[in-house]
Amino acid sequence: MTRRPLDGIRIADLTWLLAGAGGPRLLASLGAEVIRIEWRDRLDFLRYMPPFAPLKNEPAERAGVLELSGLSKEGVKSVNRAGYFNDINAGKRGISLNMSHPKGRELFKRLVAISDVVVESFTAETMRKWGLDYEALKAVKPDIIYVQQPGWGYKGPYVKFASYGPIAQAVSGLTEQSGLPAPFPPAGWGFSYMDWSGAYYCALAMLCAIYYKKRTGKGQYIDCSQVEPGIYMTGTAILDYLVNGRHYQRTGNRSPYAPAAPHGAYRCAGDDRWIALAVTTEEEWQALVRAMGNPAWAWQDKFATLAARVRHQDELDHLVGEWTKDKEPFALQEQLQRAGVPAGVCQTAQDRVDRDPQLKHLHWLIPLPHSEIGTWPVKDVPFHFAHATVNQGGPTQRAAPCYGEDNDYVYGELLQLTSQERAELEETGVI
Amino acid sequence: MDSVGLTVNSGERLMAGFLFDVKVLELADEKGEFCGKLFAGAGAEVLKVEPPGGNPTRAFGPFYHDTPHPDRSLYFWHYNCGKRGITLDIQAPEGISLLKRLIAQSDVLLDALPLDTLARLGLDWTALQQLNPRLIYVALTPFGRSGPWRDYKATDLIHLALGGQMMCCGYDPQADGTYDTPPIAPQMWHAYHIAGNQAFIAAVGALIGREATGMGEMIDLPIHQAVSVCTEIDVPYWIYNRTPCYRQTGRHAQPAIGAEVQFRTQDGRYSIVLPNPFPGGYETLVHFLDEKGYAGDLLSEHYKDPQNRKGLAFARHFAEIQAECVAAFGMEDIWREAQSRGIPWAPIRLPEENLQDEQWRVRATFCEVEHPELGETFTYVGAPMLSHECAWRTGPRAPLVGEHNEAVYCGQLGLSREDVARLRAQGVV
Repeated sequence: MTRRPLDGIRIADLTWLLAGAGGPRLLASLGAEVIRIEWRDRLDFLRYMPPFAPLKNEPAERAGVLELSGLSKEGVKSVNRAGYFNDINAGKRGISLNMSHPKGRELFKRLVAISDVVVESFTAETMRKWGLDYEALKAVKPDIIYVQQPGWGYKGPYVKFASYGPIAQAVSGLTEQSGLPAPFPPAGWGFSYMDWSGAYYCALAMLCAIYYKKRTGKGQYIDCSQVEPGIYMTGTAILDYLVNGRHYQRTGNRSPYAPAAPHGAYRCAGDDRWIALAVTTEEEWQALVRAMGNPAWAWQDKFATLAARVRHQDELDHLVGEWTKDKEPFALQEQLQRAGVPAGVCQTAQDRVDRDPQLKHLHWLIPLPHSEIGTWPVKDVPFHFAHATVNQGGPTQRAAPCYGEDNDYVYGELLQLTSQERAELEETGVI
Repeated sequence: MDSVGLTVNSGERLMAGFLFDVKVLELADEKGEFCGKLFAGAGAEVLKVEPPGGNPTRAFGPFYHDTPHPDRSLYFWHYNCGKRGITLDIQAPEGISLLKRLIAQSDVLLDALPLDTLARLGLDWTALQQLNPRLIYVALTPFGRSGPWRDYKATDLIHLALGGQMMCCGYDPQADGTYDTPPIAPQMWHAYHIAGNQAFIAAVGALIGREATGMGEMIDLPIHQAVSVCTEIDVPYWIYNRTPCYRQTGRHAQPAIGAEVQFRTQDGRYSIVLPNPFPGGYETLVHFLDEKGYAGDLLSEHYKDPQNRKGLAFARHFAEIQAECVAAFGMEDIWREAQSRGIPWAPIRLPEENLQDEQWRVRATFCEVEHPELGETFTYVGAPMLSHECAWRTGPRAPLVGEHNEAVYCGQLGLSREDVARLRAQGVV
């Protein structure tokens, strides 16, 4: 019999984008029944964001880019074809519900009454304005867990400020810490790292609260922010400032705190191909020198010890780069790893999806069916349970829901609405 | 709960931690210390087992007053705050039997030791289950316990290379599309943050599952896989459209190079201004720029027509106008005003610049941690979230080498002080 760790846990999911929707995604993988609530007038932007699954017998559609004046909905053939949305919402159920309508909110309360967790990532005051703050939810379900994630947090003067991944990265210090030393500007992050991190903390808040409820019977309200988890990761630099008065200075790919050299990305043969090397110990250095064919330069005093190599990193990086620049990157990686040198190609998405034999071995992509676009690979969770069934298909064993896909299940089976009630609600624009 | 020391103090109220009755045994270097820190923060009692003399991570800088010392690594302080610590040579016969007794008393075993270490000591999953059928065993390994790369060596940098982060991060290509700068690994042990977060999520999931089954679980978490799933659109673009994404300064890797979003401020720092995707977002920003006297030609008839505001040429023009406005003010000057209008605008701060921010003062994001051995108190990063029912544990400071040996070996395992003295003399603790 299939057993999942969160069997019996139901989550009313009012999140969107990644920082919000990624949290319940993780709980779906652990077996929670996640019911994603959406409304057609204000759909998740990710439903309009490329890449899109190509229609049958059509060549892959051309990739679009975000338009600056807002996300372009032009040319989007269906709100159910966005590939990124499909990945972020895999394993969830989906219903359509108009929360702006009083009857919609009544219906939502009926769902709350049979749920364990309510999670949302609206702007801060939205739920309160709807009369759905923690006290109201608790009146419906005394042990409800309510997790709110309004960007900067609900408590505090910035309650109304907007936050997206790059904003959270900028404020927390993570952007400033990434990149080549000045005069280069910060390189920052080429993806919304704090969206994923926001999702992790949203997930761990829900999980910690579920555990606490199992042990004590008590629900709770948690005020999450997307920025604080970023600050949480900068603690070493903050202590260095407070204790030693030192401001963080970017080091590029060099190791800021643990001595290591060579430590960086080195150009290889091919178009924009690079290999990362991280040499920390004497054995690793000796192994690298042997792999390079014992060049005379490596035996100079200035490279004789780790401290000396760190001191002469500019020259060392140049010499190592001269050696790597005409090598095929993956062959070099294999050669160096066999010799005991920590080495890894700077992999592209193509490398990871099509080539990486270890990720293949770990089944990092799981094929999941989607009701409109068919079966596509979705990123599975990286935790492998020996006994319980845990994967990104969750209890539905589906990729993301189509808009309103599970209305029958939720309104019919769970909430026991009659077909007449449902017809009326549909007519009045509630569901 | 007070009597067993499992409550944590939050302001005036004594509140329990979320995982108030969970005991975690941590055998970890930098790969797993962040995960253990999350357990401690969430209220579990975390016991860190280090080799005699202390963990290798105590040698990571920076150090208190720049003087290397096993008890003065600021890295170690941050990542081990809230844990207790003992020393134990788990390779010694007496060491392994003490370890087994500790495992028998734990709910979670967090293992980030070099691959196969515990298995070689006879503590594979079958043996662990026999010792403690309720144990949640979390194994953090660089690449997993099997597969062609299982024995590959990795570091934070190597993980961020193989995981795809580096190829997403860096600087704009040159005009001809080629790159003269390398892909960039954002520094600060992020591979282990990413893996630690996901390992913690899995472990708490397993603890919840145990409530129903009473049975333990083994969780295998390959860091390479954890890191590889933590990028955004690059993988869907390849899966759905076979389209590569290209790194660009301060913004998302995309199939095409877009307009800049990161601009230099008057005081020589940087700020970021993102497009607001909601309806009216563009107009709000233009109005704000105009108020500050920097709307350029955006209010002209030509640009009132949305048809003339499409494409990269306009996006670049718009970015240049924003750059002029940002350059006229200090980094901290006008971003709050912009944000209060709904414009996603933020300063690119150094981490320590958050210490003074009113938002974090109100939320008690930072906390004071006492270092009695130094007679000083330092400000640490405290809780990443606020709960009205549970408190995030924000102390005590990281254990000194072997600080809790006596409390654990005598108090918990019932050894005599003479036994401990003998084990110390033999180098077992």
